[in-house]
Amino acid sequence: MTDTDRRTFIAQTAGSMAAIALFPEYVFSAPIIGERLRKVAVIGVGAQGRDIIEQIMKLGSVEVAAVCDVLPTRVKAGQDRAAGAEGFADYRDIFGKRTDIEAVLIATPTHLHTQIVRDAVAAKKHIYCEAPIAHTPDDARAIAAAAATNAGRVFQAGLIARSNPLNKRVRSLIRSDSVRDIVLMYAQHHHKTSGRFPVPAGATDADINWRLNPDVSIGLAGEHGTHAIDFMRYVRSSEPARVTGRGITRLWNDGRKLPDTVQFTMEWVDEVAFDFSATLANSYGGEHQIAYGTNSAVKSAVTHAWYFKEADAATQGWEVYASRQQFGADEGIVLLADATQLAAQGLLKEGIGLEHPPLYYALADYIKSIDENLPVVATAEDAMKSTIAGIAAHKAVMSRAVQAL
Amino acid sequence: MRTASIRPRCVCARSDLRFATAAMGTRFEIVIETAAAESQHDVHWRAVGEAAIAEIERLHRQLSFFAKDSLVSHINRTALSAPVRLDVDTFSLLQDAQAVWRLSDGAFDVTRGSGMDRVILDENARTVSFGCDGISIDLGGIAKGHAVDRAAAILREHGVTRALVHGGTSSVAAVGSPAGSPQGWTIALAPSGTTVTLSDETLSVSSGAMREHIVDPSTGAFIKGPRIAAVTGPSARLGDAWSTAVAVLGARPARMDSEWQTIIEAYD
Repeated sequence: MTDTDRRTFIAQTAGSMAAIALFPEYVFSAPIIGERLRKVAVIGVGAQGRDIIEQIMKLGSVEVAAVCDVLPTRVKAGQDRAAGAEGFADYRDIFGKRTDIEAVLIATPTHLHTQIVRDAVAAKKHIYCEAPIAHTPDDARAIAAAAATNAGRVFQAGLIARSNPLNKRVRSLIRSDSVRDIVLMYAQHHHKTSGRFPVPAGATDADINWRLNPDVSIGLAGEHGTHAIDFMRYVRSSEPARVTGRGITRLWNDGRKLPDTVQFTMEWVDEVAFDFSATLANSYGGEHQIAYGTNSAVKSAVTHAWYFKEADAATQGWEVYASRQQFGADEGIVLLADATQLAAQGLLKEGIGLEHPPLYYALADYIKSIDENLPVVATAEDAMKSTIAGIAAHKAVMSRAVQAL
Repeated sequence: MRTASIRPRCVCARSDLRFATAAMGTRFEIVIETAAAESQHDVHWRAVGEAAIAEIERLHRQLSFFAKDSLVSHINRTALSAPVRLDVDTFSLLQDAQAVWRLSDGAFDVTRGSGMDRVILDENARTVSFGCDGISIDLGGIAKGHAVDRAAAILREHGVTRALVHGGTSSVAAVGSPAGSPQGWTIALAPSGTTVTLSDETLSVSSGAMREHIVDPSTGAFIKGPRIAAVTGPSARLGDAWSTAVAVLGARPARMDSEWQTIIEAYD
C-alpha cells in the first residue's frame, strides 16, 4: 500500500475512527490488517535512544528496522530491544543502504545533531530530533533552516511536554479565566545523581560524559532548562526577553567544570518572571512546572497535574467531577487528560495519571504527523527558539551576566 | 508480625561505596567494595553503582503492576487484542516465569485470572499475547530478583569484582567475595538467625508469615506456609520465583533442579 493509498484508507474509515477515538490504545496497538509497517531507524542508542525504541515499539504500525551507534555494545542493546533491527556503526550507511527506511529518530549527544539532520534532510527522511536540538545558536538556526527545506517531510523536535495529554489540559486552563493573569512561573529538575556514566571499553570519557564537558555541553540550564522554557512558551502566548543566572557545585566535587546546581530567572516580554532550578544534589520535588495566576495556580508534574484555586475564584462546572488531593494547607484539584470522556464512562477515578510515559505520546504524534499529514506538534521553529533560550540561560549561569534574547 | 528477612552482614574494613533507592515497594541497596588503593577510581565506581541503581529504577517503572504507564500495564491492556513486542530481557523474564510455573506444577504463577497456560510467548516474533479474556500478569513475585540480577550484571560488566546487591528483605546477589572473607558474603535470615554464605551466588527468601502477600494459585487463598522458605542458586529472579513456590508448597518442589539449595524453617 502506498502512502497515498494509506491516507485514502484512513480518510474512508474516519467514521469508525470517531468511535474508537475514546480508546487511543486500540488505534496504536493493533495493526490494521493489510497495512504495511512504517520502517524507522534510531540513531544514537544511549539511554534516551533505548527509551525511544521501547516506546515506539508500542505503536503497532511501526517497525524499528535499524539502530545505529558508534559503540557496538549499544548497537546490541538496541537490537535486544527491537527484534530484527539491523545494526549500524555509521548512520550514513543507513541512508545509503536502507532506502526502505522512511523516518529517523536522532538521539545522539546534542552537539552531534546538526550534521545528522542535514544528511537526513538530503536523504529525504522524516526526522524526529531530540531537544535541545543543538549546543550553539548557529547550529539551532541551521537545523531549523534545514528542516524548512525538507518539503513534504515531517520534522518534529523532542519537546515532549507539548504532546503530553495532561499538558494540553493545563494549557487550556492557563489560557482561560480559570487561571487568569499569570504573575509568576516556576520550574525545576531535581535529581540526586553524579550525572556521570561508566565508560565502556572502546569508548572515551568525552564520548560518554559529554554532558560534563564544558566545550560541548550546555549544562543543566541548557539540557533541562530548554524543556522547561518550551513548556512555558507552549502554555503562554509570550516569549522570553532576558535571563540571569548562577551556578555552584555543592556535592560533586570531582573536578568537574560545570556546576551541579543551577538557577536562572528568565524575564518574559510581558515582564512576567520565570524561575528555574536544577540540581544533581537533591531529588525533592523531581521535575515539575507551576504557573501562578490571579485566580489559581496550576502545577504540572509530568504524569500528574493539579489546579489550586484562590478562595475568591469562581467555581467551574468541571470541578464537580474532580478528585482532590491535599498538600499541607493547599487543596489540589486533580487534572485529568480526558475528564469529560472519562466522566461519561464512569472512569474518573481510574483516569488519574497517564497510560503511557510522556515520550510515547510524542512519538505517537510524530508517526501520526507522517501517517495522516497532521501539523507537527513541536516544530523546528519552536525548537530553535526554545533551544536558543536554553543556551542563553546556560551562558547566564556560567557568566553571571544578563543575556538578552 | 515477625517475617522472614535477610540481614546482610557487610563488615568492610576497606573503603566501600554504597547506593540505595526505593523501588518495587522496598529499598534496594548496593555495596561496592573497593580497596584503599583504588580510591583514585572512585569516580568510575560511583558511576557504575549509579548505573546499576538507574537500571533498578527503570525496571521499577517498566514492571509495576500498579502504575498505569508501565509496560506490564500496557501488556495487560493490550495483549488480548494484539501481540505485544518485547525486548530480550522482558521476554526471557516471562519465559523464566513460565518455566518455574511448569516445573512447580503451578505453585508459582504470575497471572491473575486464567493461568500461565493462556499466556502465549512467541519466540520468533518475541511477543506476548493472551489466549483468553480475564488474564493479567503481575510480576511482583519475580521482578525484585530480576532487578537484582540486572544490577549485578551491570556491576560485573564494568569490572566490579566485590559487591553485594539486595532488594529489600527478599533478594540478594553476591558479586565475588569480600576481601578477607574468600568464602563469601554472610547473610543472616531473620528471625531464626540462620546464616548463609554467598560468593557469586544469589539468595531469595519468601515467608508464609506474610499472610497478605503470597496467594496459593490452586486455592486462591493466602498461604499459611513455612516461616522461612529460602533458596540459593545462580539467579536472583529464578530464586525469587522458586522461593515463592517453596513457600506455597511448604516443601522443595519435586522438579527443582539440583543447582538450587533450599532452606525451609517451620514455625516453632
